[in-house]
Amino acid sequence: MPPETTDKHAAAQQAVDILHEISTILNCHLDRRTLSICISMIERGVNPEALAQVVKDLRQEAQAVEHQAATRQ
Amino acid sequence: MPPPDRVTNAIDNLISHLIPRDPREDENAAQERHDACFELARNLITSPATSVSADVNHASDLIKRKLIQTNPGQALRFSNLYSRLLALPVLDNKWAILYLLYQLADSPDPSEPLPLSPVKPSAPNYRDAIKKHGRERAKPTAASKPEEQQFKDAFQPEGLKQLPAKEVIQSSDERPSNVESPKRDVSLKSTLLASNYAAVDPPEHAILRDLPFTFQGVSSTTLPFTKQDTLQLPPSLPLPLVSLLHTLAEPSLLYRQLDQYCKASAPGQNGRPLGLLGQSLQAAIGTELRSYLTLIATLEAQIRKALSTMDESAPCGGIGKAGVTLKRCVIWTREATMGLRLMSLIAEESGNKKGGQLISLIHSFSSSHGDPVVAAFAERLLANFTRPFYDFLRHWIYDGELSDPYLEFFVREKSSDKNSGKGKTVGNVWEDKYELDEGMIPSIITQDFAQKVFLIGKSLNFIRHSCGDSLWVEDYSKGASKELRYGDTATLEAWIDEAYKTTMKRLIDLMANKFHLFQHLQALKDYILLGQGDFIALLMESLAPNLDRPAGAQYRHTLTAQLEDAIRGSNAQHDSPEVLRRLDARMLQLSHGDIGWDCFTLEYKIDAPVDVVVTEWGNRQYLKVFNFLWRIKRVEFALLSTWRKCMTGARGVLQNPDPVVTQTWKSTRGVLAEMIHFVGQLQYYILFEVIESSWDELQKRIRNENCTLDDIIKAHTNFLNDITHKGLLGPKRQHPGINESDRASYLSQLSDMLKFMLAYRDSVDGLYSWSVSDFTRLQEADVRTTTRHDVDDAFGSQDNVASEFPVLQERLKHLGTSFRSRLQFLLGDLAYQPDVDLRFLGVAMNFNDVYQPMRRRSKTSQSGTAANTSKG
Repeated sequence: MPPETTDKHAAAQQAVDILHEISTILNCHLDRRTLSICISMIERGVNPEALAQVVKDLRQEAQAVEHQAATRQ
Repeated sequence: MPPPDRVTNAIDNLISHLIPRDPREDENAAQERHDACFELARNLITSPATSVSADVNHASDLIKRKLIQTNPGQALRFSNLYSRLLALPVLDNKWAILYLLYQLADSPDPSEPLPLSPVKPSAPNYRDAIKKHGRERAKPTAASKPEEQQFKDAFQPEGLKQLPAKEVIQSSDERPSNVESPKRDVSLKSTLLASNYAAVDPPEHAILRDLPFTFQGVSSTTLPFTKQDTLQLPPSLPLPLVSLLHTLAEPSLLYRQLDQYCKASAPGQNGRPLGLLGQSLQAAIGTELRSYLTLIATLEAQIRKALSTMDESAPCGGIGKAGVTLKRCVIWTREATMGLRLMSLIAEESGNKKGGQLISLIHSFSSSHGDPVVAAFAERLLANFTRPFYDFLRHWIYDGELSDPYLEFFVREKSSDKNSGKGKTVGNVWEDKYELDEGMIPSIITQDFAQKVFLIGKSLNFIRHSCGDSLWVEDYSKGASKELRYGDTATLEAWIDEAYKTTMKRLIDLMANKFHLFQHLQALKDYILLGQGDFIALLMESLAPNLDRPAGAQYRHTLTAQLEDAIRGSNAQHDSPEVLRRLDARMLQLSHGDIGWDCFTLEYKIDAPVDVVVTEWGNRQYLKVFNFLWRIKRVEFALLSTWRKCMTGARGVLQNPDPVVTQTWKSTRGVLAEMIHFVGQLQYYILFEVIESSWDELQKRIRNENCTLDDIIKAHTNFLNDITHKGLLGPKRQHPGINESDRASYLSQLSDMLKFMLAYRDSVDGLYSWSVSDFTRLQEADVRTTTRHDVDDAFGSQDNVASEFPVLQERLKHLGTSFRSRLQFLLGDLAYQPDVDLRFLGVAMNFNDVYQPMRRRSKTSQSGTAANTSKG
């Protein structure tokens, strides 16, 4: 079994690489971690459209937090 | 729904990864923010999902299109990456990931600080607005996608970008994506259409089922024929179907019409019999219709097969998958429809045409129609349909028989009423039996060719019926008959040329050897045109005493006896009995006061086949020339006999001491000599200059190797025209439009002069007898004076002289001058003749300028004559 899991792992790694490349082409500004989280979520059946909205919302939230931090300093 | 624990885990991860931790914030606040975010994310994810079509291609298409618009260089790279991605065994929802990426594309960089904005970013309004905006712009629902895309292309400001982008598509590296996208659209559209398809009444498969019957012109339940030329369409059909049915109705109606045309039996339109060519056209069209029916049968088989395999439960009857639709039927019958259309055009136009005109009509389609399909079709039709025509042709050129019951060939028998109308050509088998109908010559053969064909058949017919040589004709038709067919015109022409040559050769051979045509012509020239001089001289001498008597006292038996005598006495006896048998002497229709000279005529009888050359008209021309020559001959004969009398008398009885009488005799002899000169010249001119030269011409023409009977007839007619015209016998219309005095043709001038000469001769005879009586009286007086020297008697005798002599002298003088003046007029006329030979006659008569040629015309007519002559 171990060789199969390593194969699968390598393939998943490759998929993430490819998708990351695509995301850079598309200017998605996703790092590898976020991307892999998203992939795993979608693989579990999450609606991609909704997920995209979530990502966008969270980014805004993060920006707001950063802004807050900046003003507080 | 996915297992919640893992998803929540993932959301937690995502939040903690994305939201930076503020080191100065307390744990609680952070947790609270985390919770808020988590709640938001969870709500979004679990909210009812909008339906996205689960299609890998769709998402990649979207991305590709976007890349092509914004960054064409990367599109190829994406394609490579995409194909690699697809090759990977992991990931079940590749399309979803791509879709996610697509949604996130061109999102602002999260590491950049939030731009200062008046609206609070956390405000729910703002968020909603963004959400809404984002959805509208970048998240079209799958079903409405194509429409919206089109809408965007048309109305969005960015839509303009598509234009250069499309040009980029043309580059070769983009080919695969380019091909893929429109296919996608179509398939979506068709599914859309399929779902929107409304059931029609009656359903399409019902119409299809009935369609073969309609094509054969049979009424069916859905598509009944209400009238001969009307097809009733169901009223409940939608417009597109109706238009399809309209197209399909055309061949059906045309077929019905043509079928009826073909079935129409013998009496065609206008109650006329249809004719063999018409029937053949019907048959040819019938053949075409049969092949149309074959097509329909095939079509029907297809329809039946399709209908049997059709899935009734499928949407719209599953007709799209069955393989046969109304549209397909339209396509399949399109070529046949064109053929039917052409045939119906032909059928319509052939209504008032027949025979050769029909062939010309169809040939015009094949030869001058721009559409090659039409031309080929007409050509095919022509091959079948011209068969009867070629049958006529074969019968005609190989048998010389016209088997044309409906008058369709371009040769036809002349109607008899026309024949009787023309007196000139009565009973001329060659000219009048058949005629060429120019209007019926089909355009597949040329005019020249038709003429040849006409001549061949005519000759064969002539050989068979008039020359009694049907044996040869039968042999010939057996030996030479060939099957003639439409197609290779070259071979046909060669055959016809061959037939032409054979027939003509045979005909001329028959004419020359069996019917002695050339011998007859020679005999005509010898006897009728006074070529045989010794015969004519003998005849005239022996007949002269007879003919001086009144016409009523002439008897045929004496004439024939004299003729016989003349023949025996001259070289004519060596002529063949065949020729001499035909020679006859007879009296013309006599009128009161004529003497024998005026009525006598020689005749040469011409019978059956030769009379096509020497026609009735030709005979009359010969007679005319003969009469004229005979008259000249007679005047010459009379003048010469008087001259002889005078000359012999001059040595004895005519010697007179009286100078007046001597002078009178002298002048009389002068005038007589003038007249003899005139007659001599005239005779010489007519016999040698005119007849001999024309004869030569005629001989040259008819001895020609490949001369036809027509040529001979023409040459002979020319010959006759030449001798009558040049021989001063030309009809009066030689000078058209000139005033009355000019109407006096040469013939009347000459006959006047001949009359003067005869009168003069009579006067000279009178003078002679007076001189003789005077001489005898003087002799007697001499005898008396020897006994009784008396002067009174001399005076008395002189009184006697005075009693008759001055009258005679006066008369002679008068006749002499009027002859002279007429001669001068004649010379004047001749000098301005267009014909060289006639001018030459004038010169020959006046070679030493004794006469002053005079013109009797007024000034105005002179100019007219000048114009006339210059024209000649």
